[in-house]
Amino acid sequence: MKTKSLPLNRRLFLKTSAALPFLSASVGLSSSKAFAASKGGTLNVSVNRAPGKLNPFLHRLNSEYLLGELLYSGLTRLGQDMSPQPDLAESWTPSADLTEWTFTLRAGATFHNGKAVVAADAVASLNRVLDKATGSPGRRNLGPIESVSEGSDGTVVIKTSLPYGDLPVALAYSTAKIVPAEIASGDLAPLDQQAIGTGPFKLVSYEPDRLTVVEANPDYFIEGLPYLDKINLMVFPDATAEMAALIAGEVDLSLEVPPADFTRVGAATGVVGLRTPSGRFIDIVMANDKPPFNDLRVREALSLSLDRQAMIDLVAEGFGSPGNDTPINAAYRYYGDAPVKKRDIARAKQLLAEAGYPDGLKTTLVASVKPGYRKTLAVVVREMAKEAGFDIEVKTMAHSTYLDQVWKKGDFYVGFYNMQPTEDAVFKLLFTSDAAWNETRWNNGDFDQLVEKARTTVDIAERAKLYASAQEKMRADIPALVPVFFDLLAAHRDYVENYQLHPRGATFSLEKVSLGAGAPQRG
Amino acid sequence: MIEVLKRLLSHPQGAIGLGLGAILILAMAFGPLVAPYDPESFDYSARLVGPTANHWMGTDQFGRDILSRLLWGARSTVLLGFTATLIGTSLGAAVGILSGFLGGWIDDAIMRVVDATMAIPNLLFALLIVTVLGPSGLNAVIAIGIAFAPGMARIARSVTLATRNHDYVSAAVARGESAAYIMAREILPNMVAPVIVEGTIRVAFAIMLLATLSFLGLGAQPPAPEWGLMIAEARGFMFRNAWTIVWPGLAIATVAIAFNLLGDGLRDVLNPRTR
Amino acid sequence: MSLAYLVKRLVYLLITALVVSIIVFGITQILPANAAQMLLGEFATPEALAAIEARLGLDQPAYRQYLDWIGGVLVGDFGTSLRTGLPVGPTVVDAMSRSLTLAGLSLLMVTIVAIPLGVLAAVYQGRKIDLGVSLTSYIGVSLPEFVLATLLLVWLTRPELGWFPASGYVPFADDPLKALWHLALPVLTLTIVLTAHVMRMVRSEMVDVLHSDYVRAADLRGLPRHSVLFRHALRNSLLPTITVLALDVGYLIGGIIVVEEIFAFPGVGRLLIVAVQQRDLPLIQAGALIMAMTYAFSNLLADFAYAYLDRRIQYD
Repeated sequence: MKTKSLPLNRRLFLKTSAALPFLSASVGLSSSKAFAASKGGTLNVSVNRAPGKLNPFLHRLNSEYLLGELLYSGLTRLGQDMSPQPDLAESWTPSADLTEWTFTLRAGATFHNGKAVVAADAVASLNRVLDKATGSPGRRNLGPIESVSEGSDGTVVIKTSLPYGDLPVALAYSTAKIVPAEIASGDLAPLDQQAIGTGPFKLVSYEPDRLTVVEANPDYFIEGLPYLDKINLMVFPDATAEMAALIAGEVDLSLEVPPADFTRVGAATGVVGLRTPSGRFIDIVMANDKPPFNDLRVREALSLSLDRQAMIDLVAEGFGSPGNDTPINAAYRYYGDAPVKKRDIARAKQLLAEAGYPDGLKTTLVASVKPGYRKTLAVVVREMAKEAGFDIEVKTMAHSTYLDQVWKKGDFYVGFYNMQPTEDAVFKLLFTSDAAWNETRWNNGDFDQLVEKARTTVDIAERAKLYASAQEKMRADIPALVPVFFDLLAAHRDYVENYQLHPRGATFSLEKVSLGAGAPQRG
Repeated sequence: MIEVLKRLLSHPQGAIGLGLGAILILAMAFGPLVAPYDPESFDYSARLVGPTANHWMGTDQFGRDILSRLLWGARSTVLLGFTATLIGTSLGAAVGILSGFLGGWIDDAIMRVVDATMAIPNLLFALLIVTVLGPSGLNAVIAIGIAFAPGMARIARSVTLATRNHDYVSAAVARGESAAYIMAREILPNMVAPVIVEGTIRVAFAIMLLATLSFLGLGAQPPAPEWGLMIAEARGFMFRNAWTIVWPGLAIATVAIAFNLLGDGLRDVLNPRTR
Repeated sequence: MSLAYLVKRLVYLLITALVVSIIVFGITQILPANAAQMLLGEFATPEALAAIEARLGLDQPAYRQYLDWIGGVLVGDFGTSLRTGLPVGPTVVDAMSRSLTLAGLSLLMVTIVAIPLGVLAAVYQGRKIDLGVSLTSYIGVSLPEFVLATLLLVWLTRPELGWFPASGYVPFADDPLKALWHLALPVLTLTIVLTAHVMRMVRSEMVDVLHSDYVRAADLRGLPRHSVLFRHALRNSLLPTITVLALDVGYLIGGIIVVEEIFAFPGVGRLLIVAVQQRDLPLIQAGALIMAMTYAFSNLLADFAYAYLDRRIQYD
């Protein structure tokens, strides 16, 4: 509340500087090997959701993305600044019209079974991810790919149906991993039990709900990496227990810290809290094609009933920033700045009356129980909207039931999404008419056109203008309520070196992490 | 009835149980009237404070008054516990009487099934049923009721068997009375005492089970001021204000103690041997 | 104990197993979730779903699926987890072995603590110690495990105390001391709750025995007090205690589900909660069946022990 008067970008700046200790460390790392990271040791990493699947094509949780990244590689990977970085592909060149891309593979990369990686492996793997029957969550996140084939002299050639400048970034999506061709083109069942990848670590044991162990891959294609000998990936379904283990030193690195615990944990002896602004958001999804939410006045009334600044405190314990009903915030490149929407109960009431609900509107808001913010947000929205005349009943359900029965189908529910690497990625994921998960059914032609045009616009200023208009459109038309963005919060013991919190929330780079002085000796 | 009450009051456990029960009934009847705050309204400026003059029991993570929430929650928590027991008792009694009255291989078959069902621990059984029905306070009540039924069926059956051999039942059979008449007029009245004793203790257990289900996210839904749910929701904040756990925990325990004491008191008072 | 009694009880156990398996299977059949959908996630296409359903036999009628499942269970094959694609059997067995450690330690503690306390309370009936025991047992039976566990967690794991780890599990093979340390709080929670039950039962049994004619007779014959207590009274009141302990395995199983969830203990209880949350049908079936059968089996053992120890009773 104290920071209410500060403009958004200044507040974000303050947050970034709060995170400086880790940023400076990361600068030190990327500029050179200025300080020598020591080799060896075992790192205990805690996650709050069990990595339920080993098959990288089917990953959809952050803990699974981590596992995929440890064991496998993609063609590209996501840099700290959301730019595409080489992974198995050493370099890439687009055709002039941005519809055909040639990826040159790194020489000397081998799978964990010793076999060299060839273009056929990449082609078979990508085609398998794109195959509908695989059911890969990443199928529609890789861009408008038309075909993947083997080029001359061992390159991989990808054709897109539209000019698509973001392809290398899209290919860094966590499920686009490369496995041996004989598996990728055959029965995928082996991927459930073993991991023959090219990643910096090899699988030792996999007990999904308890402990997954990986050990350094001595033949990893980047010389000198990884630093660690072994990583124990420990599952803590309960945050209290997880934080206690971190404070007690049984866990060295917690990938996510609940906002409610962050201050307490960060103040504990020997623990360093990490924080970075991010585009991770929570939203209220409304069916734009059905009453009552097909009426803009109803959506606006609900939007006006929210006190966004208070929500940051209640939902994110202050570790976040307000949203303006668009999925883009200052963490993105083409953020269109605008003042935070203010609460206006009188106007909300009036709009609701005009829409035909002078006596209020009764409706049910569904929230999955994972993560816990969803429930909290639902309760907060119910309470805030009460004054404007909304009578919202909160209904919670197990995450699996939610995915099965409500997600993308429901009329009024709480969504929760990681930051995406680009504006295009998040719009095409959720808000355009052809979005992979078009959950709002907003289907706004003008918006679609703006996004489509930005895709093929190379000029940066022009692109910024298009994306600004797109965001403007969303602020006015409110396909979904985006009241809160979360900062990402993590914490580690003070001897853990070189861990960078990635704003996307799905990239971890543990191969660069090392253990410094004071690290416990583990078997 | 008055007689039973009198004897209860002279029985130490019974008297304490009765006293606690009376307080509980008062809380249920007048709690919402005397509650200082709306149980759902937020106070952003006073989140997670300990007991103060404004908030006697402190506030939770939304700045909601814990005392007000407990007072409002008393009604639903206790009523749901009663309903669950009632469902279990009627279901169990029906099966038990029928089984005991019919006898023979039908009795054998029913009792085998009842025994097998009792092999599934109550919480596990309720958990499975509520998984099928979907999480809600009402479904949790149904689930607990079903889970309770086998135990009640056993008691009802043993009473039926004991009564069946009595002369007046034999006489009724000899008179050619219908089965329904015999069950309703001769057997049911004999069942009242043991069922009330068992039921009272079961209410305590039902309230605890219900709170446990809510705690696991399978019972009452937020923002309901159900006591188990209050604890579940406050868990993430317990290091910042432990009172959010202590008060509802104390409330559940007190109510359960009240019914346990009352049950023990009733057992002694209604037991013909100790009369 | 006659052979006929033994056979009859074993047949009952089999019937129990049959009924439980039907109930468990039935419940998973009507769960509001599509197994194939779970397996493939929300990204599955209709064709992919149909293929999976055929592979899993989900297109078969229910009784066929039940027979397939129960046939597998009999040879130790519990199917494949819908979530992980790993076989369920080894997962459940591993988790079960950890839960049994937890349960075993708790029962041991309960036996050590509850029986002497119950006896003391009975012997000094109506005195302070009796009152104390009764009061504690009332509180114990009235405090749900989740409340007790959460309170212990708040009070005893604070870093400034550092007394107990909040959670987790260390295998005995790795470090026995650390393993015990990690088990301390879950065992403590279960012990407190169960002790209240058992203590109450032992007390009331002991009171009955102490008032029985033959103990009075022994008293009248002028036998030493401790001899009366230990030779006559205790032995007779221990018989029902065995049954009580076996019955409390039921409570213990319920308690274990909650305690494992709160202390993040990787046992079969937590496995079951995960399975329920994820609608992982084969895992729910296996977990519920194994838990129920453990309870049924412990009751059977108690009956046998009772029958063996108490030869005065006729068993037909």
